Amino acid sequence: MNVIVIGLSHHTSPVELRERFAFADAKIPDALKSLRDSGIAGEAVILSTCNRVEIYAATSLEPAKAFAGLKQFLKTTHAFDAPLNEETYTFAEPQSLQHLFKVAGGLDSMVLGETEILGQLKDAYALAHRHKHTGARLNKIFQRAFNVAKYIRTHTNIQRGSVSVASVAVELAEKIFSSLDEREVLVIGAGEMSEKTARALLSRGARSIIVANRSRERAQVLAQEFGGRAVQFDDWAAEFEKIDIAISSTSAPHYILDRAKLEPLMRARRHRPLLLIDIAVPRDIDPAVNFLENVYLYNIDDLQSIADDYLKQRSEEIVRCEQIIHERVNLLLETKSSVDFADQRKMPFSHLRKSAQSAD
Amino acid sequence: VNWFTDRHFFLLAVIFYGLSSAYSVFLWRKGFRKDDRVNYLLLLAAAVLHTAAMFLRGFNFNQCPVNNLYEATVFIAWTIVAAYLVIGMAHQLRFLGAFASHILFFMGVFALMPALDPPHTSQPDFSNGLTSLHAALIFLAIGAFGLSAVAALMFLSEEHDLKFHKLRAIFSLLPPIQRLERVMNGLLLCGIILLTAGLAFSPLLLKQKYGVYFKNDPLLDYSIFIWLFYLALLVSRWKFGQSGRRFAWSAVGSFAFILLTFWGFLLLSPVHHP
Repeated sequence: MNVIVIGLSHHTSPVELRERFAFADAKIPDALKSLRDSGIAGEAVILSTCNRVEIYAATSLEPAKAFAGLKQFLKTTHAFDAPLNEETYTFAEPQSLQHLFKVAGGLDSMVLGETEILGQLKDAYALAHRHKHTGARLNKIFQRAFNVAKYIRTHTNIQRGSVSVASVAVELAEKIFSSLDEREVLVIGAGEMSEKTARALLSRGARSIIVANRSRERAQVLAQEFGGRAVQFDDWAAEFEKIDIAISSTSAPHYILDRAKLEPLMRARRHRPLLLIDIAVPRDIDPAVNFLENVYLYNIDDLQSIADDYLKQRSEEIVRCEQIIHERVNLLLETKSSVDFADQRKMPFSHLRKSAQSAD
Repeated sequence: VNWFTDRHFFLLAVIFYGLSSAYSVFLWRKGFRKDDRVNYLLLLAAAVLHTAAMFLRGFNFNQCPVNNLYEATVFIAWTIVAAYLVIGMAHQLRFLGAFASHILFFMGVFALMPALDPPHTSQPDFSNGLTSLHAALIFLAIGAFGLSAVAALMFLSEEHDLKFHKLRAIFSLLPPIQRLERVMNGLLLCGIILLTAGLAFSPLLLKQKYGVYFKNDPLLDYSIFIWLFYLALLVSRWKFGQSGRRFAWSAVGSFAFILLTFWGFLLLSPVHHP
């Protein structure tokens, strides 16, 4: 049986189309059953995420015939009448295996090298396996795909570093503070980006979040969500004695924190290290505060530039990853050929055994 | 083999320190992004040879090998490398070796200068166990100050990268600067405790030798000055929250001062060179 794949992803189709073809988790077992019952696939796995919908199938049909069947299956299942051409892609062996390994390694993801897809792929496989829609062929290639993904993660830099502003801020905090467990974070101005950053810090163990926002209600909602507390916007400076990290994203047209204001605050906090993240445009914090000892100021451009560099570094790893995948796929196919050859050689004997048994 | 003396062992150790120093430059150029295992192994190999050299010398003279400048320097360097090997077991602190190797190499080359290792006289400077303990504690203290200076160098390098938004700060595998500050502080505290213990024996030894509890001596005055300086440094940290760059520069500066002046005061001291 050959492994083939048909799919739509963020590379080929817009979100409107992807969501049209998405499979709800609860409906996947039935979809797999009907796919197998139709005779198109002997084994199958459906991967459905926000960025891709893919069907991996092990089939004994000719690839062209199987692709046509799978496309029809997709259209029928989702009651889609219009033609599907450029929006889908199809791969037969060995490209199908290469594609699966790439997906598992995050090489085909929107955020290059992200790891979430591996978890989603594992879940998709586990679901199909649990309902007995996979067999020897897909079990083997999926297990191999997971191994290759792990190998790529540990032996290349494809998943190294943070590619979002929020996670870069967390990484910076981890370079300054021994641990984030006891850190207090002050959010000045409850914008979307500062919320994301605070959430990322909280997920890495930050102790509490204090929110200061011009709209007191919004501050309270956010503080409640974070399990922290809200303070009056004008009182944020009073919190500086306790906090370790400040994220600022107000819409003030001028600096709200400058060197003259920070100097006495630093004395009050006995010069403990302070990480200032200024994600406001125009900036909230005077760059001159970075000259104060134990103060580390990063603005949105600094964070974005680090994220971009990580992404660049990941892109440089693609060639290495593809080489690893190419080698692993070749190895897998060689094993498959030798197994097929051995099966062919075993066949006459099994035939004889069967004849002997019937003679008995 | 008779011709292979303890100095030969130490020479081999210094070669390994040199290799480690060269490899450290490579690690630095690469932005400390590779695991420092190779450097750790190089320093481990050097430490084994270094220990062998000290053992051989100690067994030859049947006493702790701290009789002249060569032995003093070798002892201090050994303290630094031994403490590093223990601290370096923590994965992130292993990069201390990349900073320590230069100091160790420098100390090793300095110690190997022939004039620093004159033949032992019939009346060695440190002739009993108490004297050996006194000297050993002081050298261990200097070693702790040395490693603290190494941590401070690492802190300064990383802090500079963080301040000036160098990508190396975030891409490197170096530990957080707050942890480095703690290591620096802990080693200084160890150093001052050891130095206090070592100096506490001085009145007893002076009483044994000269019948007085205090004698004006350049090395003794120098040691008290060093003790006071490090004490002031720690007090300024505890009492006034002295931290960060200034604290790190103080740790580096004070150890550089010891490195440059200790041997001179040792040679000037009539109590230690009767």
